[in-house]
Amino acid sequence: MDVVKERGELKCGVNDNLTGFGVVMPDGSFEGFDIDYCKAIAAAILGDSSKVEYVPLTASARFTALGSGEIDVLIRNTTWTASRDRELAQDFTATTFYDGQGMMVYADSGYKTIEDMSGATVCVLQGTTTELNLDDRFTKSGIPYTPLTFETNDPLQAAFEEKRCDGWTTDKSGLASKRAEFPASAGGPDALVVLAETLSKEPLGPLTRDNDSEFYDVVQWVVFGMMQAEESGINSSNVSSMAANPKDPGMARLLGVGFDGGEVQDFQFGIPKDFMQKVISQVGNYGEVYDRHLVPLGLTREGSFNALWTDGGLIYAPPFR
Amino acid sequence: MFRTFIFQNFIDWIDRISFLRKRKTRRISFQLLFLGFLGLIIWYFVSKALQLDLGFSHLNSRAGFGLSHTFFIDYSSNDSRWKAYFTGVINTIRICSLGILLTTILGTIMGVARLSSNFLISRISALYIEILRNTPLLVQIVFWQIVFLKLPQISNAITTGGYTAISNRGILIPWIEANPKFDIFFAIVVIAILISIFLKVFLNRREEEKGQKLYSNFIPLIMFFGISLLGLLFTGIPFNWNIPSVAQNEFGTYMQSGGFELSPEFLALLFALVLYTGTFVTEIVRGSIQSLPKGQTEAALALGFSSYQRIILVILPQALRSIIPPLTNQYLNLTKNSSLAVVIAYPDLFMVTRTIINNSGHALPMFFVVLFTYLSLSLIISLIMNLLNRQVTKVRV
Repeated sequence: MDVVKERGELKCGVNDNLTGFGVVMPDGSFEGFDIDYCKAIAAAILGDSSKVEYVPLTASARFTALGSGEIDVLIRNTTWTASRDRELAQDFTATTFYDGQGMMVYADSGYKTIEDMSGATVCVLQGTTTELNLDDRFTKSGIPYTPLTFETNDPLQAAFEEKRCDGWTTDKSGLASKRAEFPASAGGPDALVVLAETLSKEPLGPLTRDNDSEFYDVVQWVVFGMMQAEESGINSSNVSSMAANPKDPGMARLLGVGFDGGEVQDFQFGIPKDFMQKVISQVGNYGEVYDRHLVPLGLTREGSFNALWTDGGLIYAPPFR
Repeated sequence: MFRTFIFQNFIDWIDRISFLRKRKTRRISFQLLFLGFLGLIIWYFVSKALQLDLGFSHLNSRAGFGLSHTFFIDYSSNDSRWKAYFTGVINTIRICSLGILLTTILGTIMGVARLSSNFLISRISALYIEILRNTPLLVQIVFWQIVFLKLPQISNAITTGGYTAISNRGILIPWIEANPKFDIFFAIVVIAILISIFLKVFLNRREEEKGQKLYSNFIPLIMFFGISLLGLLFTGIPFNWNIPSVAQNEFGTYMQSGGFELSPEFLALLFALVLYTGTFVTEIVRGSIQSLPKGQTEAALALGFSSYQRIILVILPQALRSIIPPLTNQYLNLTKNSSLAVVIAYPDLFMVTRTIINNSGHALPMFFVVLFTYLSLSLIISLIMNLLNRQVTKVRV
């Protein structure tokens, strides 16, 4: 963490080709759900959400980049698994998005379930849990299939557009964003359907290196703080008035201010006590980030795992105290 | 004067007794110091590496991922990671061996064509070199992938009279399969080869003794084909045709089967590697031919050789001496460049290993495995080419 402070910039490993999560805009800036978490961490540590250097990474190169210290934190729609946590010596901080693997096929193919896809060729990215889940699913049902394994999304999409493969499997969030921007020349979004079946649990979230617990805690609690902010009804437009006049002691602790003129509770994260104020004013709370990037893709929040726990979802932050 | 004398004696005395001042001592001590330093560095890296898990035991566990191209090895996701790795090695060997063969043919033809007196032929060769040598290989690979993806989709596969199935899922050509008669036929062919070799040796000896032409190539060749043909008549046709077909299964998935499959990924990689490396081989062939004295061509012309005889009997055998060493480099380049397969979903050695790394996390030992495998492949190619070179340069000129 001292390295980040000294450098004055957070190096954040991201996806540059997944609409909604991480994508390069025409002017070269980055935008997306994952990108906003990079901004939030930079706002918490450095006080300025623009002090981020984005490092676009492929699925297969991302862990090496984090392990070698090329980046400080990896926020690139990465699934939390036991082997990654342990074998790769990296730590998952918290789940920002509960995803699941899906299968996208052409609407005119007549496939209704994965059981129909006997003998099909499926396009998949290399070095992902997706590749392994795909095999588990087809092996379980004893269905023959051919995986076509690509390193990056662009040649994969080129192959899928030419119907080199019958199906395209990745996280449903990814499929939704790819479907939304499917070129009209290849039939547009309506030519595709995402099958209802979910092949796997895919909790996505930021990762840090093992044995960097100070930095790990900051990343983790920035994520929790954004969830807690939504739960408490604090958003980017009312955060300054809430900080000036917190409604209850819990809110005061979250925003790093004293309640009713009292003392400020210091969680000793090694960063300014009011870090959540900066995060919320510059980036927003969890709901704002979700609405900004994922709702336009058609990933509705109500009724999904990504709703707040008070609304029946799984978005739940441990208490700030 | 006296002091100089004393001083000189002192130095002599020091020189005699102090081995520290000896030049040899200094040399050795510097080298020891250097070796010690080198040893420290190596020790540091080794001790660092030992902290990592350098075991290969994880290669015994279940692979859990499928591969699109399995050739020769019957691999499924239930097999071990070792088997997945060997499937990758076979895929690499497959692309490299075919690539090297085609590159050599293409390069030789283009190299000779480059020197042709026919303006059109030599320009075509020059154009080929300048375009393909000056564009990046990676770009060419992706270009060929897109070209092959533009083949008809499988629902409209081209089936020329039911004998092929050409689509962007793969080009399937009719292939032969051995049937039970094959064993007998094979034995007859082996006998035919042995008889032909014997005949060839015999005729060569007679030619040398008598000094008259006895058609030492032609007669054994006729003999070989004659015996083989007789064998064929005796056994009947020992092969069955394996005709490719495309059909929909009960769920509407188009399935291709039969024949010999050339997938678009394999073809794209093969085309790119052969065309790219071919330009360098062309230049090597051209350079080697041009380095021969002009008198060789003129002598061949004066002896009344045809242009075919001139190239095959006089020019190429001499040019081979200077072709082979740089040609080896190009073969090695082709082998190493085949690792770019990962871009277009051809599961070669490097791609499979990277998948294993991603699943297991044992990056360092697996990279050692990859490096070792490529090194072995390269050394084998070098060995073969060196043996060939020794053959070619046996006769001194």
